Amino acid sequence: MRSYLVTRIWQSAVTLVGVSILVFVILRVVPGDPAKMLLPEGAPQSAVDELNRHLGLREPLWVQYGIFLRSVVRGDFGQSFQYRSPALRVVVERVPATIQLALTAMALTVLVGVSIGIVAAVRQGSAYDYAGTVLAVLGQSLPNFWLGIMLMLLFGVTLRWLPTSGFHGWQSLVLPSVTLAAFPTALVARLTRSSLLEILGQEYIRTGRAKGLGEPRVVLRHALKNATIPLLTVLGLQIGTLLGGAVITESIFAWPGMGKLVVDAIFFRDFPVVQTILILSATIFVVINLFVDLLYTVIDPRIRYG
Amino acid sequence: MEKPRLSRRRFLLGSGAVLGVAAGPRAARAQARRGHVIAGLSERMLTLDPANHYSISSTSVLRHVYDPLLDVTNDDKFVPALAESWKPVNNTTWRFTLRKGVRFHDGTPFTADSVLFTLKRVRDNTKLIKSFVYQDLEDVRKDDDYTVTVTTKRPFGSLPAHLTMLGMLPPGAAGNEDAFFGKPVGTGPFRFVSWTHGDHVDLEANAKYWKPALPKVEKLTVRFIPELSTRAAALRAAEIHVIDRVWPDMVSTLRATPGIKVLDMPAVEAQRWHFQLAREAGKDPRIRKAVSLAIDRNTIIKELLLGYARPVVSPIPPGLIGHTNLGQKPYDPDKARAILKQAGYQTLTLDFVLMKDLYPKQLEIAQAVAAMLSEVGIKVSIRNLEIATAREQRTAGNYDLFFSGWAHMPHDPDWYFGQWFTRAGAEKLTRFSDPRVEQLIAEGRVPDPKVRQQKYEEIEKILWEDEPEIWPYYSVAIYAISDKLRNFEARRDYYVLLHEVGIA
Amino acid sequence: MSRLLRQPMIVVGGLLLVAVIVASAAAPWLVAADPIKPVFGQRLQPPRGLGGAAGHPLGTDNLGRDILARLLYGGRISLVLAAGAVALAAGAGVVIGLAAGLVGGRLDALVMRLADVQLAFPVIMLAIAIVAVVGTSPAALVSVLALSGWVLYARTVRAAVLTIRRLDYVEAARTLGAGDLRVVAVHILPNTLAPILVLGSSQFATMVLLESGLSFLGLGLQPPQPSWGLMLAEGRDYLSNAWWLATVPGIAISLVVLGANLLGDGLRDLLDPRLRQ
Repeated sequence: MRSYLVTRIWQSAVTLVGVSILVFVILRVVPGDPAKMLLPEGAPQSAVDELNRHLGLREPLWVQYGIFLRSVVRGDFGQSFQYRSPALRVVVERVPATIQLALTAMALTVLVGVSIGIVAAVRQGSAYDYAGTVLAVLGQSLPNFWLGIMLMLLFGVTLRWLPTSGFHGWQSLVLPSVTLAAFPTALVARLTRSSLLEILGQEYIRTGRAKGLGEPRVVLRHALKNATIPLLTVLGLQIGTLLGGAVITESIFAWPGMGKLVVDAIFFRDFPVVQTILILSATIFVVINLFVDLLYTVIDPRIRYG
Repeated sequence: MEKPRLSRRRFLLGSGAVLGVAAGPRAARAQARRGHVIAGLSERMLTLDPANHYSISSTSVLRHVYDPLLDVTNDDKFVPALAESWKPVNNTTWRFTLRKGVRFHDGTPFTADSVLFTLKRVRDNTKLIKSFVYQDLEDVRKDDDYTVTVTTKRPFGSLPAHLTMLGMLPPGAAGNEDAFFGKPVGTGPFRFVSWTHGDHVDLEANAKYWKPALPKVEKLTVRFIPELSTRAAALRAAEIHVIDRVWPDMVSTLRATPGIKVLDMPAVEAQRWHFQLAREAGKDPRIRKAVSLAIDRNTIIKELLLGYARPVVSPIPPGLIGHTNLGQKPYDPDKARAILKQAGYQTLTLDFVLMKDLYPKQLEIAQAVAAMLSEVGIKVSIRNLEIATAREQRTAGNYDLFFSGWAHMPHDPDWYFGQWFTRAGAEKLTRFSDPRVEQLIAEGRVPDPKVRQQKYEEIEKILWEDEPEIWPYYSVAIYAISDKLRNFEARRDYYVLLHEVGIA
Repeated sequence: MSRLLRQPMIVVGGLLLVAVIVASAAAPWLVAADPIKPVFGQRLQPPRGLGGAAGHPLGTDNLGRDILARLLYGGRISLVLAAGAVALAAGAGVVIGLAAGLVGGRLDALVMRLADVQLAFPVIMLAIAIVAVVGTSPAALVSVLALSGWVLYARTVRAAVLTIRRLDYVEAARTLGAGDLRVVAVHILPNTLAPILVLGSSQFATMVLLESGLSFLGLGLQPPQPSWGLMLAEGRDYLSNAWWLATVPGIAISLVVLGANLLGDGLRDLLDPRLRQ
């Protein structure tokens, strides 16, 4: 177990370095000139070249990467091309809003999704089950922006119960997190339902009833435990989506999160910000997936590695 | 609720006037200044350094913190700000007389040293975005504490226009610019409080602003909300007081919401679709003419822009020096077909490149144009690309028609002509080259406005005939405000200036 | 076959999907209106039942084009693209996940780390990179979509493999001489079928929505060819005053998702060896 952990940590480090190189290279190889993005249309080519020189983009690729690595080690991720402020500061400014949105959406997903899934499975074939199916379908297929704007118009403009956009106070968290959680909740509900149905089909009949345990206990203890693996997989990946893929929700609700920051930075060719975010998010991913893999072994001792 | 407040204020002001000397202008100002205005702008401000950006939105926001030497009014006149007067001494020399008694937010006085520092800095630090504009400055000299003489390498008639966009910095910022721009100080009507990158900026009133009785509000927050639906929703929910860049289709929804007013102004902006003159389609003036004849500009204005646009009568939009009236371009698809047939073109395919999200309804308009051109036998392939890729394609010349526009920045056509219609400037763009135009542009740089007007009219006549670009319409700027906002001026240059607004 | 038909979910789901597919395929015969040519003067008409003019049951869009026509023609493109992307993602993901789980060791580690690396990149960045190399084309779009989706399958299948391969009866089967392939076919795949079907049928909607986002950003399909994704994107700016532009394709997507979900769940109920009602 320990050697597995050590191996995984080493692999993670290698992955991160790989990511950093890949990000670095892709950004500089893909067409798009940061200086042109900053300067107005039709600025003279001499100004473009001069600015690129200032931004350090005229050096050979490996030199740039070397300089980059050396500064990263010191905690300096460079200056954002867009904002002319330290990239790390620009990114970190977005962390509170991002975390709040992600955690709230994740909490909603787990609570609402699992509940719907349980109810639908336990009452299979009933009206509850069909209602759950409808909700799941809507959650998966309604476009993020549609749901967001509709909720905004209803609760923000017509009813004025909640703020329409921005990041201030818990009220402004409600609409964006509901919007963001819609798809993962639907997915989790369906997965929970289908995993539970499998388990209920076998173990419930065999073990639980034989022991004479009450239904709820059997369901919760045995079934959920086995449903957790696919759930965890999905949740682990959804965290990434919630963090970096929330760009549409963030755009609609003017939510100052990292999703929008990274997409804007990509379009603007703000290399330092893109690099910072991708490396940070890769780190988070790697850590989370390490955690999830370890959880697998805890939850299901049958899974062994190596 | 409203009435008592108003009459109390009037009473106090009235009694202040009666008491006269004792109340004083500052007391009256303090009582008049109240409220917190929140604006929702579509374009993010990217920096707090007036010399380090070239964006309309940033200019507009930073105008509240810094004053430039001169301002431009909504009827296109240059008026004094920190410079009381300015005049061209000769073709390559400008003299500015500065306003006295102005102080920066930290108390230091505004003098010629500020001007020297600001101008020399933007010229010498080539890392600054605006630096390339000021490379023509030869010397900036202080004649005395309130007079500055600027000499230029070649005639620089557009210098005043550029200076409307450059806020003056205190010389104390020299040497520790990073710290300075963390909490910048200007002479403007508002002081900087805080800025969350890309989200919002908070400002508070400068009680000692040199213009009397301004600003009228205590606090100002500018939020950046690029998504139009969200911007409109925030206004409709009474969370903010003013939004810019409203689409024509949104107007009826906004008008139908109680408590909201919609204002529009013809903008100092011309849309331009430029041909790639080195490719087959762009090279042939007959094709260009046919394309121009096949586009029904009036239908675009009426049906797609719902009347919120105006027909073009010269490449330079109204409000800038050089604007003239050359008549409207005709719509004649039969003639277009005839020209193409005579030139021997059976089928033609044009690549129409757009930069994503740059102009309202551009995709819609492009599709309409594609349909119009297909009527005369030209097939259009629309390529809506993200901005950086689109720019690369343009530099490489991989397009036939490119959807672009020209907003005023600065309030002067010289720079625009210099970049797009000189051989050197257009080399990596449209590949335009015409020695007559080049000569006229150089001659149009002198400070004398009469000479400039004449030269620019000549340039425009050549371009109008030659049609290296299609000018489909002049834009209209649409704003929407809460009716609690008093004294808001809908500007033609897309600036949202809130020095003089009040809250009811 | 009769067992197939006895499952109501399969029947309903299947019929729904077939209806949508046939309608889209038969678009030229079902609607007379041109989905591409703008018609000025009848922009933004609401659907027939809500005050719109006759002849446009679902209303017209921002260029006056009949929305029903655009929906049907657009369905052809979107259905094919999304289905292709899901198939590609699922196919690649399952194979990779199986390989990683079965072979284990270095291959497993390599694959999972590659997945981590790829996940760190926002889809938009991958899209820009791919488009920069091969240009905007349906093939590029399908590749980007599939690239964004394979990891889910790979991870799920791998986890299932790791659980199952250690099960007693599987170990027993192997000692008795059953080859890997047989183990895979008989024991592992059926057990991974459930989550894969669920994921696949969910992902269809994601693919259409992703196509929408990418097309909107200039990285996918170009107008004026209709696709549900483009219709969504173009309808986004009109949600406040012409909500049907985006809602109609949204409903179409929901119907397809419903059909796919029912079909997926039904098939899983049928094929899963452990699940007997």
